Amino acid sequence: MYGKVIGVAVIGVRGHPVAVEAHIGRGLPALCLTGLPGASVQDARERVRPAVESSGLEWPLRRVVVNLSPVTIRKDGPGLDLPIAMGVLAASGQLPAALLERYAFAGELSLKGTLMPTPGILAVALAAQRKGLEGVVVPQANATEAALVERLNVIGAPSLSAVVGFLRGEWKPEPVVAALSEGPAVRRVDLSEVRGQGQARRALEVAAAGGHNLLFMGSPGAGKTMLARRLPTVLPALSREEALEVTQLHSIAGLLGESGLISVRPFRAPHHSVSMAGLLGGGSGFLRPGEASLAHNGVLFLDELNEFRRDAIEGLRQPLEDGRVVVTRAAGAVEFPARFTLVAAANPCPCGFDGDVRRRCDCLDHRKLAYRQKLSGPLLDRMDIRLNVPRLSPADLLDESPGECSDVVRDRVEEARDIQRRRWSDLGYRCNSDPPGPLIRNMCGLSDDAQELLGRAAEALSLTGRGFDRALKVARTVADLQGSDRVTSGHLAEALSYRSSDKETVRAG
Amino acid sequence: MPDERAGWPAGFASGPRNRRALLILSALRGLSPRKLLELARREGTAESCLSRVIAGRAGSDADTEFARGADAGAMMAALDDCGARFIAAEDPEYPPGLHNLSDPPAALFARGRSMSPHDLRVSVVGARSCSALGREVAKEMGKGLVRAGVVVVSGAARGIDTAAHVGALEATGDGTGSTLAVLGSGIDVDYPRSSASVLRDIAHRGTVLSEYAPGVPAEPFRFPARNRIIAGVARAVVIVEGADGSGSLITAEHALDLGREVFALPGAVNNPLARAPLSIIRDGATMIRSAEDLLADLGLESDRRAAILGQLNLVEDAVLRHLEGPTLPDLVARELGCDIGDVMGILLGLEMKGLVRSLGGRFEQTNLAASSS
Repeated sequence: MYGKVIGVAVIGVRGHPVAVEAHIGRGLPALCLTGLPGASVQDARERVRPAVESSGLEWPLRRVVVNLSPVTIRKDGPGLDLPIAMGVLAASGQLPAALLERYAFAGELSLKGTLMPTPGILAVALAAQRKGLEGVVVPQANATEAALVERLNVIGAPSLSAVVGFLRGEWKPEPVVAALSEGPAVRRVDLSEVRGQGQARRALEVAAAGGHNLLFMGSPGAGKTMLARRLPTVLPALSREEALEVTQLHSIAGLLGESGLISVRPFRAPHHSVSMAGLLGGGSGFLRPGEASLAHNGVLFLDELNEFRRDAIEGLRQPLEDGRVVVTRAAGAVEFPARFTLVAAANPCPCGFDGDVRRRCDCLDHRKLAYRQKLSGPLLDRMDIRLNVPRLSPADLLDESPGECSDVVRDRVEEARDIQRRRWSDLGYRCNSDPPGPLIRNMCGLSDDAQELLGRAAEALSLTGRGFDRALKVARTVADLQGSDRVTSGHLAEALSYRSSDKETVRAG
Repeated sequence: MPDERAGWPAGFASGPRNRRALLILSALRGLSPRKLLELARREGTAESCLSRVIAGRAGSDADTEFARGADAGAMMAALDDCGARFIAAEDPEYPPGLHNLSDPPAALFARGRSMSPHDLRVSVVGARSCSALGREVAKEMGKGLVRAGVVVVSGAARGIDTAAHVGALEATGDGTGSTLAVLGSGIDVDYPRSSASVLRDIAHRGTVLSEYAPGVPAEPFRFPARNRIIAGVARAVVIVEGADGSGSLITAEHALDLGREVFALPGAVNNPLARAPLSIIRDGATMIRSAEDLLADLGLESDRRAAILGQLNLVEDAVLRHLEGPTLPDLVARELGCDIGDVMGILLGLEMKGLVRSLGGRFEQTNLAASSS
């Protein structure tokens, strides 16, 4: 007796269709799994039988062999519980064959036979669509997520018995509507809530417009985190493709809950004790996307940059360069997209009060120096904008009127992005922060007075080659925000003012 | 300063005939400046001095022979060929400070930018085999002085001299600051060879000066003589590094004889290259740490400040006025009704001019700007 259903194994962000075959033959009652099941799939062996029996169905008391094909890829994740159960039921003749071939099945089973919320369902649905199937059967909790995929019939079932009822034509599922929700309970923040800090607000606008990474230096309590949290609100709105990518990654990480499409840009702020696997993705068994990938199309915020583990920070170089993370395991390499804007915050010195007007810094010079040396390095080179954020006193805010709200700023950002798209799309770049130095030097369109200022600045501020290119990129963005073809000396001067944080406190101290 | 010029009798080189005679006299090897001066005091004009030499009653035999066959026109053409000009002691370009010497040169040869009586010159001298650190310090010194509008004088020798010239050249722009190399060889002789490229640069953007006619080779006795000019043209002399018995000490002695101020950068007591500076500090020279110290001691900072502040435009001036004590750029932008981005740009410009510094996100005037208001 033989049965076959279609399941989906999720590897990285991609779903791979898997044929789940079941054979019931002579022998002592047992369930044998073959076809390279990972540890979490092996688990299903003991789970499936109670789930079937609790659902009022019959478990064949003979030797059952379930094979997952193709046998060359390692299958992991809890989503294969349902197809295994369905395979056994099909082989024992308890299901009509009519719909079996036209649907993919995915979902984790409880011992009572209920279908539990399962990570990675969006990837499952996308794989089913690619394979040209008519629909997917998924846990009810994940139905909205699967419904994001167009031209696919989504059956959200509460339990195994409901799935069997559906196949037998005894149970009709409720139609599922694709929800464009805002994702997991986000409290909307807005730039207008930031009082004062005009310089930092402007830096956020420039960073958002040009896709520049950002470093905030400042004393504890200066508002670095508050500012960083508002960067996603001035970034351009997510396109549908981008939103699907984000949703898929959150789905695989099991962070989606019952919501549908995530339509706001993610903001991830991992604690500085995060491991390399936590930041970049990995884990034993089922490979989870890391914080870098969860921040994909959004903002990754590293508070207390200096406290992060060296290897984790070094590991960020690849995603910053390629926009993806590759996790290599014995079984093969898995790729997660990870294109994010990096915002880092750091104290100016170990005690945090160097350069503060109202509190004395009592760090020794050599400790300050050691601290700064640790801060510099490859990651810092990719921070186009560096800014000192002063700690404000109530007196500083006395006459301060509320600033612009995020929507107004975002409109300007979107316009600047349009200009950049026109400039760079032929070369395959998205925004001013992407192209390499030599290219930006040729394309940035410096006016004569800006050229002259650059010459003087190189000398007076002892700019390095990289610092030079960074200033040009940011200056180009400042000009784009104004809709100017040429980069004038005013644009360049503003860009140069976003570079100082590494030097000055040493001088002042 | 009529009494300073008393060295050379009035009208000694006036008129084309005297100038031609002086050109020939300045090429005579047997007639040192001191001997020529004695002769001039007796004879009154260059032409009559030359006729004494031709008559064999002054100078060496070789001088007499040279003077008889000399062709001033050809010598002038040779000067033109190497791009040099001839400066007599009574010409306006002749550095007035040289008149203080007991043996001032009767004439000088110069290439490059012309010297002005208003030039403020500071000599930077030191060891030829200097340390890397000393080279760095000399370079910074050269830069700092030129930025303040000073002409940096040195001898184009290896080591400290070259470093000072190079630093000065880097900072040379449209201002009065520049560099002056005084050679111990003929005006067209690059000595040492390794300085040839620096000298080419100096002739282009600064001034090369020598009391020796084209073609005169570098010889050991000419360098101490050259050092008296380095001391004489300058208002102050700075010694960067030097071992015991360094040539820099000779320059320092000349400077003291002439009443010039002498400055020295110290070093560790057990550093052989710090011996010369430390010994003259002990003898009363002023210890300095940087170009800033020197400028402050010479009272040049206020001039520099006035020059910088004078160049500010209205907006820059307004921004600067708002920065007494650490101030948020937001506040400046609000008070002036400017965009924060523009204010940041203006602040950067002021920072580059050294008028403003940033303190953890706030900005304030530096001492340079503050002491004026």
